[in-house]
Amino acid sequence: MTTYSILIIAPLGFSAMTLFRSITIRNLITIAAVLGLSALSVKNILFSNTQVVEIFPHAVHNLFIVIDTVILLYFLLQGIITKNALVKLLAIFQIALYAIVVSLSPTLISNDILVDDTSSVMYLVINIIGGIIIVYALKYIESEEFSRFKKNAFIAMLFFFLSVMNFIVSTNNIEIFFLLFELTTLCSYLLIGYRNDELSVQNAQKALWMNQIGGVAILVALIFSIIQYDTIYFDILIKNIDKVYLLPIVLLAVAAFVKGASIPFDKWLLGAMVAPTPVSAILHSATMVKIAPYLMLKLSPAMSDFVSLTITLIGTFVFFAASLLALGKDFFKEILGYSTIAMLALMMALAAIGTPEAITACLVFILFHALSKALLFLQAGILEKSFHLKYVNDINGLVNRSPLVVFFIIIGFASLTLPPFGAFIAKFMAIESIAGEIANNPLYVFALIFVALGSVFLTLLYFKVVTKLFAKDVDVTSRHVEISKFYTIPSFLLFILLIIGIYISFEKELLSFMEIVVPLLLIAVVPVLFATLFFKKAHRVKEYNCGEKDEIVLNMYYFHMPKTVHKYIINISIIGMSLLIVGVLL
Amino acid sequence: MIEIVLILFAPVIGGFMYGFERVVRARMQNRQGPPLLQPFYDMYKLLNKQAFIVNPYHTILGIMHFVTLWVVVAFIILGQNFLYVIFLHLLSTIFIILAGFSVKSIYSHIGSNRELLAAIAYEPILIMLAVGFFLINETFSISAIRENSPSIIALFLLFLAYLMVIPIKLKKSPFDASEAHQEIVGGVEIEFSGLFFEFIYMAKWLEYVFVYALLMLFMGSNTVLGLALALFIFFVINLVDNSTARIKMTHLIKIVLSVGLTLGVVNLIGLSYV
Repeated sequence: MTTYSILIIAPLGFSAMTLFRSITIRNLITIAAVLGLSALSVKNILFSNTQVVEIFPHAVHNLFIVIDTVILLYFLLQGIITKNALVKLLAIFQIALYAIVVSLSPTLISNDILVDDTSSVMYLVINIIGGIIIVYALKYIESEEFSRFKKNAFIAMLFFFLSVMNFIVSTNNIEIFFLLFELTTLCSYLLIGYRNDELSVQNAQKALWMNQIGGVAILVALIFSIIQYDTIYFDILIKNIDKVYLLPIVLLAVAAFVKGASIPFDKWLLGAMVAPTPVSAILHSATMVKIAPYLMLKLSPAMSDFVSLTITLIGTFVFFAASLLALGKDFFKEILGYSTIAMLALMMALAAIGTPEAITACLVFILFHALSKALLFLQAGILEKSFHLKYVNDINGLVNRSPLVVFFIIIGFASLTLPPFGAFIAKFMAIESIAGEIANNPLYVFALIFVALGSVFLTLLYFKVVTKLFAKDVDVTSRHVEISKFYTIPSFLLFILLIIGIYISFEKELLSFMEIVVPLLLIAVVPVLFATLFFKKAHRVKEYNCGEKDEIVLNMYYFHMPKTVHKYIINISIIGMSLLIVGVLL
Repeated sequence: MIEIVLILFAPVIGGFMYGFERVVRARMQNRQGPPLLQPFYDMYKLLNKQAFIVNPYHTILGIMHFVTLWVVVAFIILGQNFLYVIFLHLLSTIFIILAGFSVKSIYSHIGSNRELLAAIAYEPILIMLAVGFFLINETFSISAIRENSPSIIALFLLFLAYLMVIPIKLKKSPFDASEAHQEIVGGVEIEFSGLFFEFIYMAKWLEYVFVYALLMLFMGSNTVLGLALALFIFFVINLVDNSTARIKMTHLIKIVLSVGLTLGVVNLIGLSYV
């Protein structure tokens, strides 16, 4: 068996195995499974340099058609049960379009499976980071009040998600890609609606219909691809691309924007916060949204200058806008959500630029963003479970109660913004790539401004949150809170991976030795000093505060954006996307 | 070798600049003013003060602000990547902002928040400046910029935009709302004292070195012209400082971002056509 097929089939098996077991056996299976999958994905990137290709037999294709039909009918059924007109309508629309796609028979045939370097990197993200989140979920889900079966089903669904993700980054067939796209939609629908309360159901439906739009876009892209290029395969489509007929490419890009929760499709990802935290963690970091930059990377060789410029501008604009909107938020997970939207948009922009440097930056970004976001969401879960905290404004002086959680949160934020961490390198390379493009087309200057502003906003946002962790009175007696090993070990693993990431970026010469070591020392020395330096000899005083003695309560600063700004942002991004489609049609 | 000496003495150079500035400002106001070495006398006096701290985090973050800023200056002197230097400088700003927020003091919080807002205003301009140099020299390396001919003419609009950054960084009128001595009594500095205030004080000196070292890059390989430019701008900044009133933070952001970004965009678009 080839690596990719194990990576696809094994999680399905684990998924089934965890369903009906007791806690201990389920946990053991899960940990063993995660170790196995991670080892396999590492082995794959280290030892296999050749592209893997495979063509499925006819029977498998037919099976996929059956599954696809079932899913679409299920969506329709859900639409009818929940009386959601939008879901119903889109489902019917999809079924009709899908019938057309199946009835057409393109003649240019290629491989159904194509595993290249990008896929190998995605395997790492999906299996290692996704796996760590599943291990974390083992404990998390036990603290919720659900039936044993439902708890096990949660873990099973997460494994199923990994399988689908592994498949989607291996396929070369757009029809199969569509099937898997719908499967991820299904997974997210089930996971977001997991709690089954009113809000969850509502948000799950939102996620469903928004992602269905993406599905429609792919189906229309498929039809045009068959009519204009006589194929349903990515590689043939991209090889034979005629820069005059780019509609399939652009529609697929729109599907990517939907999956990547770019504004105006951002609401579904923000709504996903109602689900148990591991769901947010896995959606934001290892799965689902990462399809977006992956798809863009696949499409970028086929883009004309116009398309690549427009997508870059849309992407960077969303990066800027989402960062701006995040500044007014207080809900910890919402802040993380907006920053995911922002960074995904930047990844897509990088993929659209398509120079070798931009593509490296995009891959680096995918990898490290996943690590940092997973780490942060795990901490968000710990804050909720161990401290009952959801809002940033309430986490005053957490450093006294749990230095470890504070440490991880700060590392999480620092790794998204500061040298020498991977996400910083990616942003750094993004600016370099865009600077390189300005020489060819001055319009890239606007992309540059969006990135510059967006990255400053994000940095400030994160450190605005961090300030809250330190805010404390003169000397508070510390009350440490014990945190379960199931929570801390996954966090430690992610932290170690971040450090390994720094080493790799040094090996790959993304930054020079000094550029990596110096800031690392500067950042590393802070917690060491915190732990060791107490200034015993210095006298402790209350704050001078100009001698004012009044009792004060200090809260956080918010930079609330008026509703009109929000409206403008949505309008601009809709105009951008319409422009993209119209521009290609003309 | 010269680099190492420069790096080691960077705070001292900054101290002299600060002292000189106080003299110049006094003369502009037609008064005698302190001696050139006054900043160093201040330092000596602070050394003998009793040590008071509010909490260790505050103190450590303040010291880290100074250390990081020194590293930033060292990176410039060593001719590292321009863009990288800007982000590293952001790290040092983050340290002082965190320090300001870590104590329960209104003035410190307001100061930190203003510092944060000021960063929103000037960071994008610095990034555009780096890209401007990149478009001319085809590299972000500062040592390469130093080897090429002066680029002040090609980057004139960005140079003007940079002139707006200088008073923000050096806390000069009209853009000194983040320090605002009469209003929020120094902002983030307020809770530092004695020995530990020295680090904040020296960090201030280092900002001078940082700002004027970047300014000299506009003159490329011509160090003499670079120094002349720095001296000229030094007088201009102080003249403006003496003759203008402080503006509000919101105005600062609006003015600097709108004017600065427009200048930057026009300059960069112009460069890509040449």
